[in-house]
Amino acid sequence: MNLAPDEDLELIVETARRFGEDALLPHIRSAESARDIDAATRASFAEIGLAELEWPEEVGGAGLGCVARVLVNEELGAADAGAALALDRFGPSLYPVLEMGGDVARFVETSGRALLASDLDGALSIGSDRINGSVPWVPASEADVVVVLAGDQAAVLRNGFTIEGVRGAGMRAAGAGRLRIEDAKPDELISSAAGAGRSRARARLYVASLLLGVMRAACDFSREYARERQAFGRPIAHHQALAFLIADMQMSLDGCRLMVREAAWRVDAGLPAEGAAASALAECIEASRLIGPNGVQILGGHGFMADYPVEKHMREARALGLWLGGFDAAIEESGRLLCASDSPLDIGVGGVL
Amino acid sequence: MDFTLDRESQEALDELRKWGREQVRPVGLEADREARPIPVGHAFFDRCLERGDGRTHWKPPGSPPPERRPSTLTRLLLAEEFAYWDRGVMNATPGPGLPEMSVVGSGTEEQKERYLGPFVKPDKPRWACFAMTEPGAGSDAAAIQTRAEKDGDGWILNGAKCFIGAASRSDWILVQATLDASKGRGAQRAFFVEQGTEGLGPFKIEKKMGLKAYESSSFSLDNVRVPAENLLGGEARYERKAGFKAAMSTFNAGRPVIAANAVGMGRAALDETIRFARENDLVGDARVRDRIEAIARKVRMARLVCLRAGQLAEEKRPNIVEASMSKALAAQVAQEAASQGLELLGAVGARGDHLIEKLYRDAKAMDIVEGTGQIQRMIIARNLVDLPR
Repeated sequence: MNLAPDEDLELIVETARRFGEDALLPHIRSAESARDIDAATRASFAEIGLAELEWPEEVGGAGLGCVARVLVNEELGAADAGAALALDRFGPSLYPVLEMGGDVARFVETSGRALLASDLDGALSIGSDRINGSVPWVPASEADVVVVLAGDQAAVLRNGFTIEGVRGAGMRAAGAGRLRIEDAKPDELISSAAGAGRSRARARLYVASLLLGVMRAACDFSREYARERQAFGRPIAHHQALAFLIADMQMSLDGCRLMVREAAWRVDAGLPAEGAAASALAECIEASRLIGPNGVQILGGHGFMADYPVEKHMREARALGLWLGGFDAAIEESGRLLCASDSPLDIGVGGVL
Repeated sequence: MDFTLDRESQEALDELRKWGREQVRPVGLEADREARPIPVGHAFFDRCLERGDGRTHWKPPGSPPPERRPSTLTRLLLAEEFAYWDRGVMNATPGPGLPEMSVVGSGTEEQKERYLGPFVKPDKPRWACFAMTEPGAGSDAAAIQTRAEKDGDGWILNGAKCFIGAASRSDWILVQATLDASKGRGAQRAFFVEQGTEGLGPFKIEKKMGLKAYESSSFSLDNVRVPAENLLGGEARYERKAGFKAAMSTFNAGRPVIAANAVGMGRAALDETIRFARENDLVGDARVRDRIEAIARKVRMARLVCLRAGQLAEEKRPNIVEASMSKALAAQVAQEAASQGLELLGAVGARGDHLIEKLYRDAKAMDIVEGTGQIQRMIIARNLVDLPR
């Protein structure tokens, strides 16, 4: 297992980091209130070539895999996870089409913006020929295409759905809406048990890696603040209660990152990855419940105010952790796989740190 | 970082697994039941020697060149696997143990020959040990009080040591003492004290909550006289010591090993928990599956954090933060794994005869030895936010 990105990937990650810092970070509040990303930022994102990261080379993509995705998402998520999602036309909706034998060329050429709606929490079902259901919150205000992933099946919908705007608790830069699907007739209906498993794994790692970015930003910001801010005659970071908290936050973040990368490496290596990906997402969500609120706590009253980004990290992390079935669906899948396995954590390490 | 295992390592791992299942686990359970360390004359120790354990890695001058040492990754996975079967038995295994690396790294040629020589091809199970901890100084190793005073061409040692592994059965004990307790680590020296030296002992074999298979002893040193040549490395070494310490402070190889042990114990708790759930037809219950998932997830994370710390050391890259993280995290995870497993066992766990109950007691030590979880967090915080010493 090799968890270090090679030089080409290093360069892509560096590009993502710079784009995040230069183009996204200065506008986090305006993007959040606009519930969208401005045209200039969209144009400059299109120029750097990150949009087609995982598209197959045959349809003009970079043909990169899951490791590339999680590295890029962490960088963009550290700047603005909502914006990262808004800028990625397809987000995780690409995965069922890619992994379950869908028409990838048609999908990327004709889909505009596409949204993944999953049945990971049982909200949707794919019947014989018509689909019905609703999702109370999706991080989007509009979409041309909705990809429904339910069980071993996926359906590409081009009509029969509406997205009605809602306020949104976090990730607002990507938009916020309630998705309703009524008697939608799928444009394409695909079925594959293995492909659906891999799609879920990739979708979860997509979310998990955005969460990693948000958690990293919260850790970094609150730690630097704690080194500067004085109380009782010394930096607050030098009071052991906070020093230990900061150590625990960092430890948690590091553990999550290794889990996400190992699971991503499994996906790319073609190894069973559903359990590892579900576990990685669950761990990220659990860690975000430690890191998000404590990032605010370290800043005290300042943390509560919108002048600082930590309150946004706290909301954003929580919203991300509720998407696509969230924690419960993740531990359900991972728990079932573990209980069915004869050697759940047998030594057989492989992959990338 | 490349985590791929070569064939040789995989074979070593398979071989250890067999040894663990057939020998280590049963003798560990026996020691726990009998509530005593594995006795010196136990047949298990003879089987250890037959297997090639109990030997020193040191090669006497003129020996054939040493075989390639296994990679850090392999050594960590072996440490994980051994502790999976029984961490206490791992510590009980004969050999020059903890002080070996100090002797190889700092001893004079004469000391290596004299103290490691008998471990090259041991005629019987032999042990050695390192004595640092005292009743009043654990984590704060700079505070030890055992005194070393120059006496003609030798030294006189006075003090008390506690919780020292295998002390009463050791051929020799490397004793850490201070020339001046007010001067901290810089005034400390290590001395070889041979078993039977006048004034050494008596040994009190401690009754422990867990890890009962190996002996932990406390003893006093009452006007123990050792000759000048028993000072580790001789006087000359202490003039170079400042530089040596500086070189060592950017990476740590010991903590990831303890972390790997803890990962193994966590994995054992996980496997036993799943086995119990299956045998009792509990896996259909979501609450049961959730507990199993939580254990597995944390163990998986601890293993990755541990392997990363080891891999950095292997590559001679700074790993102080990562090593401390691995140790702090894995110890906590092992403890929690056993505790959650007991939750699932319910009153069966309280009966006192289940492996998970033993693991619950055993694993606690992992958050104490080689720097407590609190000490690890201080080390992490020193690096993250310059926490003052």
